[in-house]
Amino acid sequence: MRIPFVRGGAEVLAEGLRRVLTGLGHQAEIVAIPFKPYPPERILDQMLACRLLDLSETAGTPVDRVIALKFPAYLIPHGHKVIWMIHQHRQAYDLWQHPLNDLHTYANGGDVRAAIHAADTKLLPQSRGLFTISRNVAVRLKTYCGLHAIPLYHPPQDAGRFYTRPAEDFLYFPSRIDPLKRQDLVLEALALTRSAVRICFSGPAEEPDFERKCARLARKDGLRNRVQWLGAVPEEEKRDLYARSLGVLFPPLDEDYGYITLEAMLARKPVITCTDSGGPLEFVMHHQTGMVVEPIPEALAVAMDSLWDDRERARQWGEAARQRYDDLRIDWDNVVEKLLP
Amino acid sequence: MRIVVVTSEVPFIRGSAEILAENLCQALSAAGHAAELISIPFQQDPPNRIPDQMLACRLMDLSEACGVRIDRAIGLRFPAYLAPHPHKVIWLLHQHRAAYELWDNPLAGDLIHHPYGPVIREAIRQADRELMPEAKAVYTISKNVAGRLRRFCGIAGEPLYHPPPHASQFHKGSAGDYFFFPSPVTGLKRQLLVIEALAKCREKISVRFAGKSDNPRERAACLEAARRLNVEHLVEWLDWISEEQKRELYANCLGVLFPPMDEDYGYVTLEAMLSSKPVITCADSGGPLEFVVDRQTGLVADSVPEPLARAMDAVWADRRCAAAMGEAGRARYADLKISWENVVERLLC
Repeated sequence: MRIPFVRGGAEVLAEGLRRVLTGLGHQAEIVAIPFKPYPPERILDQMLACRLLDLSETAGTPVDRVIALKFPAYLIPHGHKVIWMIHQHRQAYDLWQHPLNDLHTYANGGDVRAAIHAADTKLLPQSRGLFTISRNVAVRLKTYCGLHAIPLYHPPQDAGRFYTRPAEDFLYFPSRIDPLKRQDLVLEALALTRSAVRICFSGPAEEPDFERKCARLARKDGLRNRVQWLGAVPEEEKRDLYARSLGVLFPPLDEDYGYITLEAMLARKPVITCTDSGGPLEFVMHHQTGMVVEPIPEALAVAMDSLWDDRERARQWGEAARQRYDDLRIDWDNVVEKLLP
Repeated sequence: MRIVVVTSEVPFIRGSAEILAENLCQALSAAGHAAELISIPFQQDPPNRIPDQMLACRLMDLSEACGVRIDRAIGLRFPAYLAPHPHKVIWLLHQHRAAYELWDNPLAGDLIHHPYGPVIREAIRQADRELMPEAKAVYTISKNVAGRLRRFCGIAGEPLYHPPPHASQFHKGSAGDYFFFPSPVTGLKRQLLVIEALAKCREKISVRFAGKSDNPRERAACLEAARRLNVEHLVEWLDWISEEQKRELYANCLGVLFPPMDEDYGYVTLEAMLSSKPVITCADSGGPLEFVVDRQTGLVADSVPEPLARAMDAVWADRRCAAAMGEAGRARYADLKISWENVVERLLC
């Protein structure tokens, strides 16, 4: 599944998987179906569209396997389909009635939600294997659909190219500027820090309202010269920022997986995340490789101060984070072995 | 503008339609637009799944992405061009040919053999007739495709020519002792016809074929015919070659053979013209006839062995005339003003 003109983690994952499969001598091709999730009734049309597509053969030759990643594309039928779920349609599940989403505000929202639940519950078990990109996604699948899935971790893009440098005077928050990533929460926390903590934000802004809100928060007294907005940066520059940072901020709301945690670990940096951040919690160990705090400005401020004030401890946590990454054996070979037994 | 190019694909198959779609996206980007390719998988066998996939395309919603309007959709191939969009333009590569001009063609018609063939054909034709006019404008890649669209569906489409990939890199070398026939080995391209003609040639002509065969049986049939007709020593099969090798083979041949059956457009003709080579084609070859001017830039023969053999003999025997026709072909290409800039301008006007 793909939203035209949007390129994010899912697109990077699909390309990474294709490259690895090709490298192993398979012929692999990405089929991306456009998806527009509003108004709600359009979701049903597009679910049906996916059910009507046929990937069993191409030009008379059977397609041996289908690896399906996202809703609704993972509903496309195939005799040897394996699902490696990036996420379900979250508005119908964990983000139902969430203030940042609106499915529940439509008159037919409940019906559409029920149809999505029914399709997932009935059709997902038809696959030959059911995997997820993280434990967090597997837990949601269990909670809402009663389906058992196995988490399968994969490395971020160019994992081998991350490196570390001595810490400089800034915390790094790389993410799309987006309400779900909660740059606003971090800025509110920054206003409460005792030390003169500095934060460098990078990432594209696609939500003008939220971008304005963040800019307003950053103009507050006392925050001048303590916030830097870099916008979208090239991969090389991003790795350099990771390497030179004191630590990484990543407090999203219920992230599916989150490359940022892993990239910070690769760059030997501690991560500050929140108790409701989802994916990062599978990797960040409180007071060993970073900090896990309540998603409120006061708690985040304390965590930022404590990292800022004890540089040696921050360095040690960063080293431990890298050790943990290596211990977890996050590699593509393992992923492919499980997806194509 | 934000523009989606909507096409269909057969996964794992990469042909000229895929290259065209990518080149169109590049041309749109070069003109300052944000362009994105949407490619819907399409499987035509078994034919009874075709209406499902037509419906799937009708159910897509390409009007916006993340709340931001998509200004234009450019539809290229069946059934993807059926996807609705408030400001859609169709640049038709071809319709589903088995439901139209190839319906009863023994070389390519598969739909006719299916128990529901006639019903499916009618569903396809009806969808095209009723839904293609939703587009703000209908263009086609050639006069040939526009002619079929008018004949079968009564819809007017305007031909809009585009250059073959890497057009600027074709060049003229010396005139060697071979005819070049670059094309995938399939019944519709008629390599077999050329082998049969070769057996009737008076000159000792040699032919280099280059191109993969999607179906190994077709290639084997050609080899078998060459053996049977005792022209094995005159033909060379190059199978897959790189683009560079292909350009060299164009540059140094005496002339190009391109006698397909009712080709939609045909890059081979244009590539030969860019390489200043005469083209031998057939009266029922479709697309090439829009470019080859008989006895000026090449020869047009009837699609049976004897007349094709006479055309091959004629070019082979008079190398000066062959060179002159090649130059005239190059001049004609320049006169036609075939460019991506022109394509983009027309599609978005």
